Amino acid sequence: MRRERREQLQTGLMLTPSVLLLALFILLPLCVVFAYSFALRDPYGAVLPGFTLDNYKELVQGVYLRVLMNSFSLAGMTTVLCLLIGYPVAYFIAFKAGRAAPALLLLLLIPFWINFLIRISAWVVLLGRGGLINKGLVFSGLIDEPIGMLGTVAATLVGMVYAFLPVTVFPIYAALTPIDRRLMEAGADLGAGPAETFWRITLPLSLPGVLAAALFVFVPSMGVFAIPVLLGGGKDIILGNLIVQLFLEFRNIPVGAAVSILLLVVSGFGILLYMRALRRVEAMK
Amino acid sequence: MSTTIKYPSPSKAVVELRGVEKRFAAFTALRRMDLTIREGEFFTLLGPSGCGKTTTLRLIAGFELPSEGQIMIAGQDVSNVPTHLRPVHTVFQNYALFPHMTVLDNVAFPLTVRRITKAERLERARAALDLVQMDAFGDRKPSQLSGGQQQRVALARALVNEPQVLLLDEPLGALDLKLRKEMQAELKAMQRRLGITFVFVTHDQEEALSMSDRIALMKGGEIVQLDTPTGLYDRPANAYVADFIGETNMIPARVVSCDADATLVEAMGTRLRVSGYHGQAAGAEVQMAIRPERVSDEIAEPSNCAEGVLADIEFIGTDLRMAYRMTDGSRVVMRRQNSGRAAPQLGETRRLGFRQQDLRLFSR
Repeated sequence: MRRERREQLQTGLMLTPSVLLLALFILLPLCVVFAYSFALRDPYGAVLPGFTLDNYKELVQGVYLRVLMNSFSLAGMTTVLCLLIGYPVAYFIAFKAGRAAPALLLLLLIPFWINFLIRISAWVVLLGRGGLINKGLVFSGLIDEPIGMLGTVAATLVGMVYAFLPVTVFPIYAALTPIDRRLMEAGADLGAGPAETFWRITLPLSLPGVLAAALFVFVPSMGVFAIPVLLGGGKDIILGNLIVQLFLEFRNIPVGAAVSILLLVVSGFGILLYMRALRRVEAMK
Repeated sequence: MSTTIKYPSPSKAVVELRGVEKRFAAFTALRRMDLTIREGEFFTLLGPSGCGKTTTLRLIAGFELPSEGQIMIAGQDVSNVPTHLRPVHTVFQNYALFPHMTVLDNVAFPLTVRRITKAERLERARAALDLVQMDAFGDRKPSQLSGGQQQRVALARALVNEPQVLLLDEPLGALDLKLRKEMQAELKAMQRRLGITFVFVTHDQEEALSMSDRIALMKGGEIVQLDTPTGLYDRPANAYVADFIGETNMIPARVVSCDADATLVEAMGTRLRVSGYHGQAAGAEVQMAIRPERVSDEIAEPSNCAEGVLADIEFIGTDLRMAYRMTDGSRVVMRRQNSGRAAPQLGETRRLGFRQQDLRLFSR
């Protein structure tokens, strides 16, 4: 009895710092935001205590719905592109790279050591009118004049894919490596060509990794704001920069808080979908 | 799946390896191998690990391509034909069942990829499962089956498309002894019934002897002897074969004289006649081999015997296994059926008889 209690105490003590940290810096601010989303404001932007649903009613307006749709389509396109590019990369590292695999994985990680904004600013330089890409294209004679690449949806997507590709590759790689290669040999042996073996065996077995990757890309993509502003010119308002604008420019903290809660709900819904899909995939085994 | 008995045509080659060599970087797994496997036979590649038997099988399946030489299957050169287009199927050592498919879908897989209609492939898959007595398990997932059951499913999956040649890579290695014995008999019966050529890889010589029509005993990437089970056992080509297949007494001996139909040797402190011409010069140091069950302690041939002291006796149910220390110090193991007769006492001196046609000589 005494020993059990002591062990419980020890566990509790060891967990205390992390629980405190999470409560103080994540749970508490979240509660504040949640409370603000029902609060009133005075004409100068100060938050007044009270309770109203007006902030949420405002969200039903067409403008906000369009922002939501913009965010969805950007996150959706980013996810699809990341999966299409990330899967082959993960496949290559898992099955073809051999001894070079750890080095390649490390290369994927290195950009994380550099500040995110600096990396995106590098893309501004690369994609600009006088940037490396335009110069190269003009020099090689493929185009006569520099193309305006910055401020387009394509530029935003380049930045998004660049930012989220590593988090796509890792879960897919982790799902591919434990697959027994004899299963692929068995597929070929029983008459399935390489494409069919991939489609019927490798891909279904790696689905948990693909789902995880989709989640890791989609949910944060819903909330980005720096990339669309810096590379896409901030033309299409999405949830991330809407929140920034509402808080910092319009000083409408209650509505900003309501949008934040909306984003949280949408992301939570995404995670829920992922867990259900994962359970179905796992049930296949 | 047809159940009519197909009789093998003994002369027709179905798999042929011509001067096949396989090198992995600095390691040569297979050296200039020539091999003909006949239609409808149960052919076994036998040898210790690393002897090249699995490599040979993987070359036939197409998982590896030969560094040199030609591989023919059913008269067609398949040396550069990819795995999925070869008319052979494999039963893998770990079964390699697809974990995300049901048992029925696993078995139907070879038919699915050949675009056979759903109704037909389900019917044929069920028939194949029936053949291995797994028809009640079609809806299960492989992970819900025992090792022996997975083994049967893997067999059904490899047979459903009626391949010309079935390759089996140590398929019984993971089963316990009793189950292995059962599966051996079943595999053999199935092979006879279907008339499909089986190429079987194993390191278990007993398994090879009991199932095969012919056995290729391999060592270091080469075939040491290719023969029938009785041929390998009774007429081993060299000391390695004699030692690998079954139990053998290896006794040092010296050739005294040699003529056309017998060799006289000095061994175990006496002189013995060994029938057959062995081409050894007088005075040559050789090894003399004899199987324990061919040694007799009832002197049938008083001319060919040696004296020994019983040093050890082991009771193994059907048999008694006795170890004698001969006068020159060499050890001879004798096996006698447990007929109920009184066993000799430890330390007792007995005369052991050796029939001259049971003795074999190998150079040292």
